[in-house]
Amino acid sequence: MRVDPNYVTNLVSSLDQTQLTEQQLTSELSSGVAITSLSQNPVASGENVLLLNQIQQDDSFTQTSSLVTGQLQVADSTLGSVVTELTQAISLATSANNGTVNSNDVQSISNQISGILDEVQSLANTSYQGQYIFAGGQTSTTPFTTSTATSPAVTTYNGDEDINYLETPNGQKIQLNVPGNQIFTGSGSNSVFAALNSLVADYSTGTVNTSQAVNDTEALNTALNYVSQQRVTIDNSITQLGAASDAVSSEQTQLTTAQTNLMQADVAQVSTQLSLSETQQTALEDVIAQLNSTSNDLFSKLPS
Amino acid sequence: MGTINSAFSLMSQALDADQAALNIVANNVANASTTGYTEETPNWQENQPVEIDGVSYGTGATETGATSVRDKVLEQRLDQQQQLASASSARLTALDSVQALFTPDSGSSSSTAGDIGSDLTSFFSSFSSLEANPTDNSDRQAVLSSAKTLVGDISNAADSLNSQRSALDQEAAGVTSQVNSLTNAIAQLNLQIQSTSPNSDAGTLEDQRQQDLSQLSKLVGINQITTENNGLEITTTSGQLLVADGSSSQLTTGTVDGMTHFFVGTTDITSKLASGGGELGGYLTARDQDIPDVLNSLDQLAYSVSTSVNALNNTGTDLDGVTGTVADPLYIFNEPAAVAGSASAMSVVMTDPNQIAAAGTGDGTGDNSNASAMANLASQAIVNGQTPTDYYSNLVSTLGSTVSQVQTENTAQNASVTQLQTQNDALSSVNLNDEASSMTTLERSYQAASQVFTMLNTIMASALNLGDQTAVS
Repeated sequence: MRVDPNYVTNLVSSLDQTQLTEQQLTSELSSGVAITSLSQNPVASGENVLLLNQIQQDDSFTQTSSLVTGQLQVADSTLGSVVTELTQAISLATSANNGTVNSNDVQSISNQISGILDEVQSLANTSYQGQYIFAGGQTSTTPFTTSTATSPAVTTYNGDEDINYLETPNGQKIQLNVPGNQIFTGSGSNSVFAALNSLVADYSTGTVNTSQAVNDTEALNTALNYVSQQRVTIDNSITQLGAASDAVSSEQTQLTTAQTNLMQADVAQVSTQLSLSETQQTALEDVIAQLNSTSNDLFSKLPS
Repeated sequence: MGTINSAFSLMSQALDADQAALNIVANNVANASTTGYTEETPNWQENQPVEIDGVSYGTGATETGATSVRDKVLEQRLDQQQQLASASSARLTALDSVQALFTPDSGSSSSTAGDIGSDLTSFFSSFSSLEANPTDNSDRQAVLSSAKTLVGDISNAADSLNSQRSALDQEAAGVTSQVNSLTNAIAQLNLQIQSTSPNSDAGTLEDQRQQDLSQLSKLVGINQITTENNGLEITTTSGQLLVADGSSSQLTTGTVDGMTHFFVGTTDITSKLASGGGELGGYLTARDQDIPDVLNSLDQLAYSVSTSVNALNNTGTDLDGVTGTVADPLYIFNEPAAVAGSASAMSVVMTDPNQIAAAGTGDGTGDNSNASAMANLASQAIVNGQTPTDYYSNLVSTLGSTVSQVQTENTAQNASVTQLQTQNDALSSVNLNDEASSMTTLERSYQAASQVFTMLNTIMASALNLGDQTAVS
């Protein structure tokens, strides 16, 4: 049977193929990336898009949650100060109510409670990065203003009842704020400002209507308890956020490992393949050199 | 004396025949590297023997010319496989350029630029950040800048795809003139072959015709039908006549919907050529099927993201307390009218970050419910029943699978072409060792004939001298 006399051409194309493989392997080694085009592994390429999406989302949430935690901590410590102020107001009112203080002292207590009222109002009007944190959705409007036209004075809430939530990548909703009216002007005896305004009015003349004053002090006490309850909501959010952030970080670590395994070159494996390819190339070159030498041609054996 | 004379003539014929055969060998050797040359072998024919008194006397041999060593079936098979391989090669080259636009993101931060998947995530994540801080100007700026990055990458990809499509269109149109000159040449060769050797292989002319056919097979998908007197009829794979013996039909081009279409006469055969094979088939498949598929997917993605985000932003309340209206909508992206062309036309029309409607309808500007809703679009099935990221992931793996499939096809077809080429070369190519051996055989035969001639000369001298050795030497 006759054979193809152009076998060297075929060997050269094998040599080209070997060199192409070597080039590919070398670029994998130098870049560290195993999949440089979609067709190398279509499934992994699609999977990679999804993994990176999740990793990026997690990354972005981790950053966001640290910012939000700052805001929640400001709200928490503000409410802490409010509790301290209110506790002081209650002890002042209790001392005024026990009938042992003279009218000058009662007026002075009225002034002190009025000062506390101002302090609590300014705490309720706390802003974070230029936005009022106890105003519901109306973050650019001063949430609490007091009108002294009547006695007792009236403190009005100008915000709304809007609550913002932050959604974690896994869909959990975390409450970001408590509207100011829930904390400070709650209905009935829960209103901090109504109780404080009443007490200021009770003591302003120096004469104490004891039963009225005791009722108002009682109301302030109830309001204080209510503020503490609302503070728990914020503390809960801080805890949830911390837990969500930890969960997301650990998910991110796992996903990054998965993504690395999917896309990165296995150096040991690639090196072995490269070494095999090089051996093959050398062998092919030797074969071509042997076959190509003219002494193998029958013409060269003919007498000249 | 008569028999000696006839022996002389027999020997001179033998010398002539050997010379003619050596001539053929020399021609083979000379053409050993000529592309398309088919090895020729000398034809020997025994002369009619003479019968005298019931005894048969041989009258030697004649060399009657050369025959090309050719297997037409094999050659045709090679041409057909060549058409498939050329088609998949051309398509693969085009697809390689397409998939280069969607290089997988390795995940390191330096490589995230230019990746539409990352852009989508960044865009929707920017709404999550805004959700945490709905009034923050830098978070609002971040939404607009990530929208611009997304738009830039989607429209760049669409523009590149469109220009690749135009480039393919030009290459396809360029093939036409080559096809026409080849079909012309084949028609001319048909005429020559039919007049010079209607009943036998036409040798060099046939070599030329085969070479033209193999060239033509690289360009376009064809069928070959042998007609009477060694003529040849060529049709496209779908049956459109290109060459009928001595006449050829020209392939013409015209523009339909901005793309080059191909005609024979007045018949538009573009879609038939696309599935027919050859380079032209590959170019047309990529131009009319592969690239439009990817473009459509990008269009759908751009359209759905633009309209969904716009619709939500338009219903919310922006930082200035404004809600969009029909007359004066609050749009982040230009609102596309139709899916087609959305990707390349995609742009960010919003310039004032305050116009991002983070708050819900009727809510205070510090509300984040609308920002939350827009962030949630990332996990909603807004693009053809899939989330944007899932849709993009599908686009990428579908494209990857197509390229990979064409690669596999191309590798298999090339291997098949190589195998057929090897078979054909084994049969028809000039093997120098064979030629050396034939030459030696013929040389020996020539020497032998000369020797016989010399001996006959001696015998003739003896006869002339009637036994006296000295008279004639």
